[in-house]
Amino acid sequence: MTRARLAARQLAWAAGPRYVLLDLALALKGGEFVVLSGANGSGKTTLMRLLGGRMRATGGTIALDDAPLPTLDPGYVGRRIGWLGHKPGLYLDLTARENVVLFARIAGAAVSSAEVDELLDTVGLRRADRDRPVRQFSRGMQQRAGLARVMATSADVWLFDEPTTGLDHDGRAMLLQVLRDRADAGIAILVASHNHEVINVADRHLHLVDGRLQDAA
Amino acid sequence: MNGLRLAGVLFAKDLRIAARSREVIGFMVLFAILCVLVFAFGFLREGASADEFVPGVLWVTLLFSGTVGLLRLFGPEEEGGTLELVATSHAGAWPLFLAKAGLQLLFTGIVTAVVLPLTLIFFQATLQGAGALILALVLGLAGTTLVGTLCAGLLIGVRMREVLLPLVLYPTVAPLLIAGVKTTALCLSGAPIEEASTWLLLMAVFDAVFAALAPWLHGRALGI
Repeated sequence: MTRARLAARQLAWAAGPRYVLLDLALALKGGEFVVLSGANGSGKTTLMRLLGGRMRATGGTIALDDAPLPTLDPGYVGRRIGWLGHKPGLYLDLTARENVVLFARIAGAAVSSAEVDELLDTVGLRRADRDRPVRQFSRGMQQRAGLARVMATSADVWLFDEPTTGLDHDGRAMLLQVLRDRADAGIAILVASHNHEVINVADRHLHLVDGRLQDAA
Repeated sequence: MNGLRLAGVLFAKDLRIAARSREVIGFMVLFAILCVLVFAFGFLREGASADEFVPGVLWVTLLFSGTVGLLRLFGPEEEGGTLELVATSHAGAWPLFLAKAGLQLLFTGIVTAVVLPLTLIFFQATLQGAGALILALVLGLAGTTLVGTLCAGLLIGVRMREVLLPLVLYPTVAPLLIAGVKTTALCLSGAPIEEASTWLLLMAVFDAVFAALAPWLHGRALGI
């Protein structure tokens, strides 16, 4: 049996006296593309943030390759886990190209100019837009640049929270293709989304109800 | 990439952003000039000794205009949601702290280069001991930058931080302010530099303590 790359056991998170997540279990394997859905306020973003090491759980454990997340060096966790959240994770006054190069360098990955162009081609950012500050981009274009930012790193676990936000039809198709290809190449992917196109392409669909995960299949 | 190189990369990034917007440094300089003018209109009167006011005006202006820069220091990270991405680099959060402190020090240095001659001209003061004053300014700006960068980092995402930042920063840097004012007064009076040595030593100790503590506390505050 393939071991989980990212796993949560008996995970709990409370906001004051109210438990948002309780006794939650999740195992995400390499090469697996899992989609997470749930009603508004059900705790999807909280769960994603906990799994990404951006918040501390009230109870339970989260492990990256069997090592508890709090015991790992945050830099190591940051390198292993690629994050795309509600904000694109970009410097708005830098260009898309500068952002991709910067975050690749921060992650310790060297990318050539040709590789950056290739990534920006993949996410469908036109050449004319690549040297414009990201601030001038639409939400969908920022999301594309954010995806290129994650792709430029060597992260082997991707946590994406509502990545289809702002993307047009072509953008969603591109995103799904990238997610499918990267999962097939061995990356473990968890996407919080209500989008049926995403759900249809994923390997597994989990639904968050009353703080616990249910297999929606 | 080691931590120092990463700090250099982040500093270069911040410089590039600052050069493109030019807002922060522009507002800092403008605010500082306005401060000096307001103090000049408020304090200068017939028969009053200008030397009496220059130390206070200089240091308070630098502190106030520095606060303007601190309020926007982590703005680029907050806007685009990049703080956690940068702070969880392989080297930890200290390269980010170093880059931000470097930018703030550069900005306050530029403001000082404008404010110091302006204050001396407006208050018609003559500088007797430039060496000690420059040393005091370097130590004072370094200390306020370290504490200010730490405070700005602690208050990221906090409501009312425009009010909270001065409330936390000013009492903490009060020893630097007092020492800076005393040293400047000695420099204007033409007293021997030895008389300022105690104050300069106090500033150096203050800086050393915060140089050791601030990057670590910054990382702890970010949960790293």
